[in-house]
Amino acid sequence: MKAMPTLEGGLRIDAVDSTDWLLLSAATDDAVSCDEKLAQRLGDLITDREVAADWQEFIVPELDEGFSADIVYVATRIAAARVETGGGPGPLWITPEDAAPWYSTLNQARLALEERYDFGPGESIDLAALSVDERSGFFRSQFYCGLQSLLLEHVMC
Amino acid sequence: MADSDTLTDTRQATELDMPWNVIIHDDPVNLMGYVTYVLKKIFAYDENKASILMMQVHQKGRSVVWSGQLEKAEFYVQQLHSHQLTASLEKSK
Repeated sequence: MKAMPTLEGGLRIDAVDSTDWLLLSAATDDAVSCDEKLAQRLGDLITDREVAADWQEFIVPELDEGFSADIVYVATRIAAARVETGGGPGPLWITPEDAAPWYSTLNQARLALEERYDFGPGESIDLAALSVDERSGFFRSQFYCGLQSLLLEHVMC
Repeated sequence: MADSDTLTDTRQATELDMPWNVIIHDDPVNLMGYVTYVLKKIFAYDENKASILMMQVHQKGRSVVWSGQLEKAEFYVQQLHSHQLTASLEKSK
């Protein structure tokens, strides 16, 4: 897989084969796999009684809806690009307008993996000590992080 | 003075409303560059101020990024949450 900035201020991701499409689709699969919803987790940080009740009632559902919509949007974009290329070599375009839902989805995917495997800081990971599942999760997390860095550097700047 | 007259004594007391702090907490996922980006976007801070606050989050685990009225603090925390940053608010002591 290759990723590069476009003249229009977006990103072009070139999938080489069906494995690349599987990896891209894994981002949305990982993102929806969180046990505790992100909006609820963030809402639990609001502990002041003056504020907490309204927050749980109004803000948490709205954020939850937004985060879920981001994942659905990205899943739809990946599926459309995959169909267009027949699941083989071909491009997936991320426009500047797509950057926010993409970043959000990748973040939710990394949060879910962190919740599941508790990797901690990347530099302290001993790959040899990880199970096959954990190692796969770690590399996916690194891939998502790399894509987020590209989005930050070239699209969201 | 007639029996039905009423004496009215009005007193006013004024005290300062304590400001609310908006706090960003460190988390294992968000990228440092992203925290800086969000601080610039939501609070219109310049690169230098946003970077200093981001480094406080990274090194100290939390940073007070704004202080003021409750309604505005709630708005800012909601904005930070919508960008998936771990933010909370507390009354300033």
